[in-house]
Amino acid sequence: MTQAQTAPQNAPRIMIVEDEALVALMVEDLLTDFGCQISGSFGAVDEALDYLENAGAPPPALDGAVLDVNVGGTMVFPVAERLRDAGIPFVFATGYGALPRKGFEDVVVLNKPIDPILLEDAVKRFRRAA
Amino acid sequence: MLHLAATLAGARVAWGHAHAGQPRVLNVANAERSEQADHAALITLVETIEALSATRTVEDVAAVVRSAARRMSGADGVCFVLRDGDQCWYLDEDAIGPMWKGQRFPMTACISGWAMLHGQTVVIPDIYADDRIPHDAYRPTFVKSLVMTPVRPQDPIAAIGAYWAVGQTPSPDTVIRLEAMARATAAAIENARLYASLNEALERRTFLLRELDHRVKNTLASVQSIARQTLRAAPSPADFTDSFESRLMGLSRAHELLTRQAWGRTDLRDVLETALQPFGGLADPRFTARGPAIALTPETAVALHMTLHELMVNAAKHGALTAASGQVTVVWRIEDVDGVPSLALDWVERGGPPVFVPKRQGFGTKLLERGVARDLGGEAKLTYQPKGLSYALRAPLSNRIAASATSRVPA
Repeated sequence: MTQAQTAPQNAPRIMIVEDEALVALMVEDLLTDFGCQISGSFGAVDEALDYLENAGAPPPALDGAVLDVNVGGTMVFPVAERLRDAGIPFVFATGYGALPRKGFEDVVVLNKPIDPILLEDAVKRFRRAA
Repeated sequence: MLHLAATLAGARVAWGHAHAGQPRVLNVANAERSEQADHAALITLVETIEALSATRTVEDVAAVVRSAARRMSGADGVCFVLRDGDQCWYLDEDAIGPMWKGQRFPMTACISGWAMLHGQTVVIPDIYADDRIPHDAYRPTFVKSLVMTPVRPQDPIAAIGAYWAVGQTPSPDTVIRLEAMARATAAAIENARLYASLNEALERRTFLLRELDHRVKNTLASVQSIARQTLRAAPSPADFTDSFESRLMGLSRAHELLTRQAWGRTDLRDVLETALQPFGGLADPRFTARGPAIALTPETAVALHMTLHELMVNAAKHGALTAASGQVTVVWRIEDVDGVPSLALDWVERGGPPVFVPKRQGFGTKLLERGVARDLGGEAKLTYQPKGLSYALRAPLSNRIAASATSRVPA
């Protein structure tokens, strides 16, 4: 995982699940630019689940999440379920045009390459939800 | 079924009306009966061929064959056997009692195997008097006599068997009908296989198009990331263009390598060689590369290539390769890290100008420390010693990164 970066105390805390490091690095930078704090950045579904399990008393100290869908061949949905159960908002970021996401039809999908404006909108919605 | 039943009823009527001492009537009845039977058999054969031509799977073929073969032979049981390598697979049957449906026997240990291996029909009036029959397999069944005929005798792919519960010599007519059906079956099986392979090809095409879309978008996302982060660190537009293009070319070469490997597993050494290529490659005597064969998934190969490309560019611009006496040693091995078998890769530069810790962390440094290591759930560390830069990657073996079975002689 990534160490939390310097950000204001009340900055929204965002988790990233993305198997491609290059894309993850960019999303981290973009989110930091938008005034967020990266609370965790994971390249595998089980690492993200471990983090949610151990992130402290539920709900984990998170204000939102950006989730790749196919994470190194594993679907991210177990993470999405945990987040939804904990009432934490999230968006999907994916390169798949048509996405099988039974049960998550209402979740916003950001297509790759990621439009920074849409990512910023998503962060604003996280803030409102918080 | 209708035609044969009518024929049998007709035959019985003809026999029943024939009086003793009137052989002429009997002969006429016999001739009529035989004509009717031939007619019925012909109709059944045509119907069977029609039904076979409408089949799309080998299972459909088997279903048509088992009912038609029984009708046409008047046997107490029939079975449809597929050749599966050196085994006979009793795919389907229709009989008065259970036979061997679903079982497999070696080609050399059953009569369907014999018929297929010899490419000829076999007629056995008394199975217990024939040593080609595995008697133990027959004892629990009703079978006393049989005919087994291969499908496509010149290169058998299946066999059709007809069985009788009462010992008898099946008539030549019966044998001819079964053989005719076997011929129609050969074409049907070939069609079914062709149909299956066409369907497979279509499904594969759809899958590949979807994968292509996914990969193109992911690659574009990588390029987007490279562009944004190169721009962040670039002191001038000219610097941006230089660095960005160099990274873009690196990404492109990584993809060329993947295409050469048909997007399958790629060997670590090939990735290294591709990354070094624009700078003279491993032929440059200042390089030493040593390590076992390691198989990488396409994604990992691209990530590792980006890493090695960054190291290479840095070495050529600022590091050991700026000096004629510089040395770059790349060594990798499998070692235990806390009991977990891991890849350990070290890039060590010596003999270049003195190295200082950079004032700020650029994209290259970030990529080196968090790129491939993050992808692989491992760790990477850059060390700036005055005598030279070194980079150490430690990553647990996984489905992305594995010791390769095809060991290659290290350089």
